[in-house]
Amino acid sequence: MRLNPDHFWTYSEWLFQQGALFNGVLLAMILSVLGFLFGYIVSVFKHGPSEGFLKVSQIIGQLFTVDLPKMSARRIYAVAKLAVKESIRKKVLVLVGIFVVGMMFAGWYLDPNAEYPARLYISFVLTATTYLVLLMALFISCFSIPADIKSRTIYTITTKPVRPLELFLGRVFGFTAIGTFVLAIMGLLSYIFVVRGLDHDHEVVSLDPTGRSGETSFDTRHRHTFTLNAEGRGTTNEVKGHRHIVTKVGDKAVVGGPIDDLTARIPIYARGLSFTGRDGEKNEGYNVGYMSEYQKYIEGDSLSRAVWRFEGVDKTLFKDVILYDLTISAFRTYKGDIVTPVGGLIHFRSTDGRVKSEDEPFKVKEFQVDRRSVRTKLKGFIEDKPADLDFFNDIAADGSFEVVIRCQDRGQYLGMAAADIYLRPADLQFWWNFVKGYISIWLQMFIVICFGTMFSTFLSGPVAVIATVAALILGFFGFFVDDLVKNTSKGGGPIESLIRLPTQMGSQIELELGNEKLQSAIFMLDRGLVTAVSRLKDAVPNFSQLDTSNFVAYGYNIFGGLLGRHLTIAFCYFVLTALVSYFFLKTREMAA
Amino acid sequence: MATSTDLENRPSTYDNDPTKTIVETRNLGKVYRDFWGRKKVQALKSLDLEVRRGEIFGLLGPNGSGKSTTIKLMLGLLFPTQGRVFVFGKEATDVSKNERIGYLPEESYLYKFLNAEETLDFYGRLFDMPADVRRERIEKLIKMVKLEHARRRQLKEYSKGMTRRIGLAQALINEPEFLVLDEPTTGLDPLGTRDMKDLILRLRDEGKTILMCSHQLADVQDVCDRVAILHQGELKELGRVDSLLKIQDLTEIHASGLSEDTKRQIRDIIEKSGGKVDRMDNPTTTMEDLFLEIVKESEQRPGRRGGRGGN
Repeated sequence: MRLNPDHFWTYSEWLFQQGALFNGVLLAMILSVLGFLFGYIVSVFKHGPSEGFLKVSQIIGQLFTVDLPKMSARRIYAVAKLAVKESIRKKVLVLVGIFVVGMMFAGWYLDPNAEYPARLYISFVLTATTYLVLLMALFISCFSIPADIKSRTIYTITTKPVRPLELFLGRVFGFTAIGTFVLAIMGLLSYIFVVRGLDHDHEVVSLDPTGRSGETSFDTRHRHTFTLNAEGRGTTNEVKGHRHIVTKVGDKAVVGGPIDDLTARIPIYARGLSFTGRDGEKNEGYNVGYMSEYQKYIEGDSLSRAVWRFEGVDKTLFKDVILYDLTISAFRTYKGDIVTPVGGLIHFRSTDGRVKSEDEPFKVKEFQVDRRSVRTKLKGFIEDKPADLDFFNDIAADGSFEVVIRCQDRGQYLGMAAADIYLRPADLQFWWNFVKGYISIWLQMFIVICFGTMFSTFLSGPVAVIATVAALILGFFGFFVDDLVKNTSKGGGPIESLIRLPTQMGSQIELELGNEKLQSAIFMLDRGLVTAVSRLKDAVPNFSQLDTSNFVAYGYNIFGGLLGRHLTIAFCYFVLTALVSYFFLKTREMAA
Repeated sequence: MATSTDLENRPSTYDNDPTKTIVETRNLGKVYRDFWGRKKVQALKSLDLEVRRGEIFGLLGPNGSGKSTTIKLMLGLLFPTQGRVFVFGKEATDVSKNERIGYLPEESYLYKFLNAEETLDFYGRLFDMPADVRRERIEKLIKMVKLEHARRRQLKEYSKGMTRRIGLAQALINEPEFLVLDEPTTGLDPLGTRDMKDLILRLRDEGKTILMCSHQLADVQDVCDRVAILHQGELKELGRVDSLLKIQDLTEIHASGLSEDTKRQIRDIIEKSGGKVDRMDNPTTTMEDLFLEIVKESEQRPGRRGGRGGN
């Protein structure tokens, strides 16, 4: 899993600096105009142009003057309670049974030789829970109102003083309540499954004569080696993503339970990453034409460097050691010694460059997290003169410092991104991160319920299911529209493409119409259309963005800012679907 | 000259009418259309009628005559394609009018997985009633519709008559001023039918206004003050039941204890004064009255067979 810079935006950064608030308001305006136009066109067919306008305006007016102010919590609760009873009657709790059965047989299809069993176990339970809960949410939400209309029980509800929004909110809250209950049980079972499934013991099978190092037994398809310090304490090496604490008791060594497999690292990331080229001048980092634009590269055995700048690091979070993780990758321009990893040098320096630590060599551990540390008392240089340093007094006096990495091997490259180095002051409790992962699933379930209920206000059950699934799938293809907006796709916007197609004008050639005014008008119109479509794309949920299961599986804390963003997005969809449902329920003839 | 649109758009008479018209339809029409907007059927044509406060108003007509459509338009379950309908002086689509309405649909469309108490509690909440008021009303209504023994049973276990009774109870949960009953006696046995009719009359006496539609003409005759007869979506007759049913040139005398001689003298007098005796006989009771009397006697003297009539 790779963390992107957008993963660790704070909530306010996302809302204000990254334009989420602006985009949200813009989207709301576009949807309002489109909604009004749609309603007006439908109304014109029924009532004519002037009365149609009056009817649409009346409905909008009633929303704010009557239907919203006169909503009753008691009525919403009544409808919600009914939705819960209805779901129980539909035997949704059987789902928990299916889940339990699935877990009982999980051992058959979970690879026992997996390099990281914790990731596999966590991914399995989170994915299984997500699919089951989303399916449940889809079906209970899409079939409820249509079933009421079919059985005509809706007659006895809409002839009571029930407002359209109360009907929608009651259903959504009711289904969410039952979904939350199911999710909570699944979460608890999953947690027990993961913790118990990964728990194992080893025995010490060999201890060298000095009693300082040894080897454990081969259990659950792996063994460890270990070394002990003078006090007779130590840890094993890392195998399958975990270690064990080993303690010497008398002349025997005892191996404890696994550690480090279920973690939730709270990384402190750098505020920026800059590069210098092989000539020592600043550049953007080298692009090796490899994979994506995520990482940029520095060249080996040259002046090329990567510099991360950390700001405002709180020294009270660290005692004698600063733990940090590296996840950088290597790109080889020649094969060389394929067994030996590409090497690099790392040092820490003050932001003015006056004080720096000694270079520490390292070998790149590709495709895994390199857990490293630096002592707060370390050797280094003050204005190039050797000196004993204190990290937080000399290098990072105000909490700001820089980390510099060079590549040692000539002709080889090291690739890195802003998130490829982070400090690890402390870990979050795994169970709390696990709960956060389930909150993400809950949010996805909530959005499915909102969309399912919305579609069911004007479509039959099966069609509402298809519409909801279609909306979710559309969300995955939002990046096509992003390409259009960023102008990375050739051939222009919709109008320009419409001209290019019949005139057989290739997409590589500039559009030439011979009329500058017309051409700029087309460009402008295209820009407007593409921007509108890109905003509209945001009206459809993109579940891949809301999924945080990898954070849990790969042992990263799900940042509060990220969860806050997801909560905000879910709330916006809730408001959007509530408004659409209101208009459909308000204008629908229940007995037609 | 006022056009039909002018008449439709004039304000409702509810607020300035001393008799307080509860329901008022003006030139009301409904056309059902298919998905493409093509006309399928004209269910109701230019209906003008009023339901007045405190009366029992009957809607009569064969299947497809527009009775149910009229009721659904009044309740806001359908929207008119022509004309307007006011209930308590408000447009029928105004939700707030529902606070004063009770509705018993044709088939008691209720949630079968709820029991009687849960059903009434649910509908009580929809009227935003506090818990203590709900409890009190639920007790009263369950007693009234005689479902004390089945209050905790799911409605799916109810007989048709019991379902009808709980349906009526939900319609009365808010103590409505205006009660709409769609086929209220359907599925009820003669005892239940009589109870329902008694109840309707009692509710009228308590000051409620009742609109009912029924195929059971005898029921309508027994309880309704005024009726409207619809056929093929058109209003064919509207008026008081007693005046509509009165046969002007026939005279009916009910007397008891007359001898054959006296009867002959009466016949002579009628013929002398130019009248004609069509029939002079002992009247028969109705089957409903007979049935109810037998049941009543049976309850008083169990195990005894009645001794009416021949073989």
